[in-house]
Order: sequence, then structure tokens, then C-alpha cells
Amino acid sequence: MIGLVILAVMLLGGGFKWAKARRGAGKREESGHGGAAARAAVERGFVPADRLDTEHRAPVTADERAAVAAAGTGDWQACAAWLEAAGKDWDERIRRVQVLSELAAVEDQWLLAWRSAKPQDPTAAVVHADTAVQVAWNVRGSLSASQTTQEQFRIFHRLIAQAQEAAHEAQRLADPADPVPYMVEQPIAMALGYSHERYRELWTQITERDPKVLAAHTGALQYWCRKWRGSHEEAREFARASAAAGGPGDLLTLLPLYAHLEQEMATGDADPDVYYKQPEVVAAADAALADLAAARPDDPRAGRLRHVLAWVLYWQDRYEEALEQFRIVDGYIGAAPWTYVADRKARYLRVRDYCVSRVPEKA
Amino acid sequence: MGASLRALRALVLLSGFYLLGVVLLAVLAGLDYAAFTAGLHGPALFKLAIVSVVLAVPIVRGMLMLRTPKGEPPAGVPVTEAQEPQLWQTVRDTARQVGTRAPDEIVLIGEVNAAVSEDARLLGLRAGTRRLYVGLPLMAGLDEMQLRAVLAHEMGHYANLDTRLTPLIARGRAQLIRTIGHFHERADHKVATERAKQEKKAEVRIAKGKKAKAVDTTGQGALYRGMARIYTAYGKLYMRATLSSARRQELAADLASVRVAGRDSTASALRELNALDSAHDFYMGSYATLGVGAGLLPRPGEVFGGLRRLLDARSDELEDLRRELSTEPTSPYDSHPALAERVARIEALPDDGRAGQAARPALELLSAPGDALATLEQAVLTPQALALERVDWDDLVHTSMTHYVGQGAQDVREALTAEGAGPELATLLDAVDADPAVRWRITDRFPKSEQASAATGRAAREFARPVLRRALSQLVTADLTARGAARWQLSWSESATLRYASEDFEERLGLALDAAVADLPDTEPLRKLVLAP
Repeated sequence: MIGLVILAVMLLGGGFKWAKARRGAGKREESGHGGAAARAAVERGFVPADRLDTEHRAPVTADERAAVAAAGTGDWQACAAWLEAAGKDWDERIRRVQVLSELAAVEDQWLLAWRSAKPQDPTAAVVHADTAVQVAWNVRGSLSASQTTQEQFRIFHRLIAQAQEAAHEAQRLADPADPVPYMVEQPIAMALGYSHERYRELWTQITERDPKVLAAHTGALQYWCRKWRGSHEEAREFARASAAAGGPGDLLTLLPLYAHLEQEMATGDADPDVYYKQPEVVAAADAALADLAAARPDDPRAGRLRHVLAWVLYWQDRYEEALEQFRIVDGYIGAAPWTYVADRKARYLRVRDYCVSRVPEKA
Repeated sequence: MGASLRALRALVLLSGFYLLGVVLLAVLAGLDYAAFTAGLHGPALFKLAIVSVVLAVPIVRGMLMLRTPKGEPPAGVPVTEAQEPQLWQTVRDTARQVGTRAPDEIVLIGEVNAAVSEDARLLGLRAGTRRLYVGLPLMAGLDEMQLRAVLAHEMGHYANLDTRLTPLIARGRAQLIRTIGHFHERADHKVATERAKQEKKAEVRIAKGKKAKAVDTTGQGALYRGMARIYTAYGKLYMRATLSSARRQELAADLASVRVAGRDSTASALRELNALDSAHDFYMGSYATLGVGAGLLPRPGEVFGGLRRLLDARSDELEDLRRELSTEPTSPYDSHPALAERVARIEALPDDGRAGQAARPALELLSAPGDALATLEQAVLTPQALALERVDWDDLVHTSMTHYVGQGAQDVREALTAEGAGPELATLLDAVDADPAVRWRITDRFPKSEQASAATGRAAREFARPVLRRALSQLVTADLTARGAARWQLSWSESATLRYASEDFEERLGLALDAAVADLPDTEPLRKLVLAP
């Protein structure tokens, strides 16, 4: 009975939020209605709904496609070569590790072959460690603790412990300059609930090797969020420090925007229409725009910043600037903040098409 | 309240039940008559008459229950004064101190309990044969003074004439419960028929391509439930009237115990009973009957007598049970107040200077405890149980555990054979070396949880890995025990453990099993450890 009451309260709460979101959207959609706005966006060159790629945040390159295909045929040498080609671009290296470990979490004959052929290979070791984390979460599932069985928890804990061992082994084998095996330990730290002190030690291992790896910063921000081991304040403080540590073009201005996104999502009753218009958030968006202007034009990490920025600018009613970001990233929406909701496509289209409707077409 | 007054009340309450039935029948008849005189005719009147007859049936059935169904007396061994002079003497002493006539029979039983009964005649108004039931497991856990406390409590019921009135009160309760049951039974039946009828209709509608109506049975059986409610209300009154006095009787009986055995022995006896109950249940399930699946029982006398060994070995665990008493009565219909309340009342009494009185174990009151325990088995155990082989405890544990592991291993061997990797550990390891994936085909043959069946890729393998490890471990254990390289060890304080030939064997075996179930398997350590020692 109590369960039913709780369920009812949750449904009412959800319904209320939904109604509020709709009201906000309705107010904003006076100029164009649903289908009309979508048609207008497509007419102006934006990608139609059915052609949006919801898995990737940028087009998949030919070499990445080849590496994925190679894994399917057991050709681990090709996978290894593709991963090695990232060189000392640590953001790209961890991204490639994650692409391969996601494959290995499903089908790992190629990885087993790789590891038995070269047991001391540092790259194989780091893919193996990250795969163990993925598999642990696949076993655990994403349901709440009460809907997760003893069996699932038991195996999850064993696998996370093994993942930690594997990460330490990868750290031992790795190039001393490589922070990636320590970055692989970041999600393990969250699952095992590292103390703040222990997490800071891990963070030092990473930043000593490279203080500006964007993926390391966003990973650490997750740890400092309230939903894991920190608080809104600690997350904002960490994000400020990250942004301050980066120079123009380092894209670390993503961190404050990310922290605000996390806080707004976590605070059920925050009205985004008000939240994102706070001077602090407006300043963070301005800093991000300046950062992007200084960044390498082909920096593959820029997409991460542009997706979040488009969302924040939209809520700040800066439609023209938002639309500029949409123009660059349009078509590939496998990125935050769209991935934070079940129907990422609907969220993306609602925001993009609304921005289109508010910006007059230039002659 | 005196015994005769209580007898009167019991009679009044019982006749109230009959009165209620008569009144309800009269109301039903009155309604029919009123409807008839009010001008109701034809099918409507007929329907009303049918309804009243249908409702009257359970009432009449409840009233016609002439005999209270007799509970089976517990199986046991009656002992004469010649056989057990000390026990009889103790019982007689206690009866005299309580101020009642000693029982006519003493029956030893196999429960953690002592109870008295009296074959009362004339609705309990005249004395009948008194029987005292004493559990040997109870005696195994108490000292003499504690036993006297328990006996005094039970005989306090004789003195109070509670035993004579019990059948009368019990009869009233049984009749009420049975009548209420009749009404509910009929209501349930009615709802079920209505549901079946509606579901059938729904099927027909669906078959015709229409939308089915939701099955709705609210209102069905409401009349029956209404009648049941009237009886339940009376039942509550009945329970309240008899229970409070039943609980007062228990507290009075406790005071009799204190007079006989002293405050501290009485309180400690109650605490001990709490611990003994769980200990005995656990003992019967995990020790006495451990070998039954393998066709084994402990030596004669040990089926009940082994409890003493458990009590000695687990005294620390039992201490918690002695300390934490339930604050709730076992059920709303239990005549005993909550144990915590009884003990608190006793311990609040002034010191009677009998603390720390020396007392021997209660079983020593028997002329030959071992024989008594063995004789009890003959009276209590089924012929099938008595036909089982009797062995020493050490052998019982080793042989039965080996048997069970062997049974478990049999399933494993069948799965191995089905995948061409069986049936031995050696053949399995060869098959793994040839094709490591055979391991997951084997585990696919074992039952899986919902989550494990839904898992794919490596997650599926992680669900299977502990299953594989367990299966391997079973095979290894079966092999080792079969050739005497390991032996199951009995422990009275913990569960049985497997003892290996050497100290570090267990750890090495764990590592060897891990290596054999790893993604990149290595069967060598297991071969060296188990197959070629």
C-alpha cells in the first residue's frame, strides 16, 4: 500500500514536471506549431528526425569503422593499430579505448586473442580493464537496488574488484606518461565509493601526467556530483578550478556548464527558464564561446562543448548563438544533454527547431 | 474469578453462540414472512425464500457440530513410578507444593514442551484422568530446579481447574471459527463462480470481435461475508472474555512456579525455553535428520539426545536467545502472555534468597537417560525412520555429505556427458583444453535466473562463471572424498567442513578453480592438485 502511495506521488511529481515543461515549451512555440517548426528547420538545411544519429556525437570516421569491423572478424592487430594511432592525444586515446571496450563487453574473442598473444601489452591491458567495468555494469543493470537481485550485486562487486585489479595492472604496464589507465579507474572509484582523499590521489596521478585531458575532467566532475560522492557545491568548485586550469582553446570551459547542467537536472523543482539565466551561468556560456573561438577548428572534442552550449544558450534565449552551435553539430546527437533523457531525439528536436523558428532566415 | 464463575461464563458464552444462531434464523424467517404479508408474490418471493434458506444452511451446520474434533495426543512413552521413581517423586513434590492432585500418568515426549491434560467429564465439572507430558529435549536443556519451575507452572493449571474448563472454552472457539469459515468458504465459492461466468462471457465477446468488459465480482458473496462478520464480532467478544482470563491464569501459574522453584530458577527456565525451542528446531533439521537422505540416523538415543552436544557447543549463540525475549504473544489466540512480560513480572519479585541454588541436570532425574532417549525414538519415529541405518556422528556427517555432493555431482556429470566432456573431471579438463567454450555450453544446461537468461555477451558469461566454478568444485569434492583424500568434518558449533590432506590445500584449490574458469583457462593447476597428487 505504501509502495502504491509512493508510486502515485512519483507519478504526480513527474506529471507536474512534464506539464511545466510543456507549458514553458508552449509559451515558446507560439510562432510555429510542432510539424510546421520541424518542416521549417529541414527546409533551412537541418537534418530531418529520421536521419539523426543518436549514438554518436560526430560522424564516425572510416578508420574507426574499419577497426570496429576488424574486431568482428577477430583481427585484433587492426584494432590495436587504430588505438595506437591516437598517439599521445589522451582524449582521443581514452575515446578509442571506450569504443573498443564497448565492443568487447559484448563479444571479446578478438580481445582474448590479443591478450593471449601479447600478455604484457599495455594497450590490451587498458582495454581489458575498461571492458571489465562495462561488463560489471551490464550485469548490474540500470534498475534501482530493490529491483536488482543478490546474484547481480554479487557478480557486480566481484567484477568491479577485478576491474580495479586490471586497472592497476594496466597502470603498471603503461607508458609512465600515459594517464589513460588512471582514467579507466575513475568509474571504478565511483562504483567502489572511493573516499575524497583516495579520489584526490587518483586525480593527482592523472593530472601529473596531463592536467588538461577533457575526458578526465568530466569523469571527475561526475564523482564530485551529488548523485555520486560529492555535492552541488563541490561539483561547482571542481568545475571552476578545471576551467581556471585551462587556457584558451583547451575547452575546459565545458566543466562549469556541465556542473550547471547536472545541478539543474538533479534539482527537480528548478525552472530551467530561470536557472540558466543566472549571471554566473551566462558568464560560463560567454567563456565557453570564447574558448571555442580559440580552439583548433578540427578539435574533435569541441562537439561535446557545442552540444551543452546549444542547450544552455537556448534557455538563455540566445537563439542565434545557439543555432550556430546546432549548425555545426547537427545530425549527431549521441551527447549530453540529449542523452540524459530516454527520448533524446525529441529533446534535441524540440530545442533545435524552436531556435530555428526564432531566428529569421537571412537572405 | 473463581473456577465455578469461570465455568458459568464459559457456558453462557457457549450458549450465546446457539442463541445468536436462533436469532439470525428467526430474523431470516421474519423477513420472508414480512415480505409475504406486504404483498410480495410469485418469482420475487420465491427468490427471497431461496436466499434465506441458503443463508440459513451454514448457521444450522455450525450449531449441529456436536462434537469438538479431538486433537491427537502427542506420541510418547508412558513411564510408571517403578520405572522412573525420581521423576515421579519430583512431580509428586511439585504437585503437593502447588496444592493439587498429582497426575495419574506421566508420558515422555520428543518436544521442547511440558503439558497437562485432563479427560474432563460432564463439561469439565468432574475430575478425570490427569496426564503430564514431559519432553526429553526440554529436560536436556534444563536443570532440576528449572524443570520443577516448568512442572509447577503446568500443575498450577490443574490447581486452578483450568484444565477442566479448557475443553468447554475450546469447544466454543472451535464452533465459532468453523461457522465463520463456512460463510467465507461459500462467499469465495460464489465469487469464483461469478468470475468464471464473467470470464466466459468476455471470451465470447472477444470471439465475436468486441471489446471485453472487465471482470467485476465486487458485491458477489457480500451476503455471506455480512453473516460471517456478525459471527466474527461475536467471536471477538468471546475471545476477549476468555483470553484475558486465560492470560491471567498463566501469570498465576507462573507465581506457583516461583513458590516451588524460586524466583531465579523460574525466570531462567522461561529464558531457557526461548533458546531451547530454536536450538531444538535447528538441531533436528541440521543434525538429527542430516543423514536421512542418505539412509542414515545417529545411534539409538542420539536422535533426541544429540541436542545436549549442540547446547554445549553453541552456548554463546544461545545466550542471545536467552536475553532477547519476544514482546509479542505468539498469536492473538495464544493463551500465554508475551514471554518478555512473564519474565519481567517474575524478575520484579523480591529476592527469595534462592539465587544460585545448585541443581543437577534435569535428565539425571531419569534412572537411565540414554535408555529413555532410545525408547522414545521407538515411540515417536515412523517405522520408515526406524528402519534407517544407525551410525556414529562422525560417519553420519561424512557419509551423508559425501552422498549429497555425489548427488549434486551426478547432475554435473550428466551435463558434461551431454556436451561430450564427461563424465569425469579428467575428461572435462581435456575438453576445456581442446575448446574453452565448452564450459559455457555446459553451464547453459543448468537452471538460470531470469537476469542470467536475459544477459548476452560477456555479461552472460559472468553469470555462468560462478555456476561453472561450483560445478567444478562439486566434481573435485566428489573425487577427493571418494578416494579418501578429503573428509567431511562434523562440528557442533559450525556447519560441516571439508578437511583436506594438507593445510594449504584449500587455498591452492581455490586458485586452481579460478584458473580453470578464467577467460583464458589454465587447467594445469587443477590437474596437478587433484588428478596427479
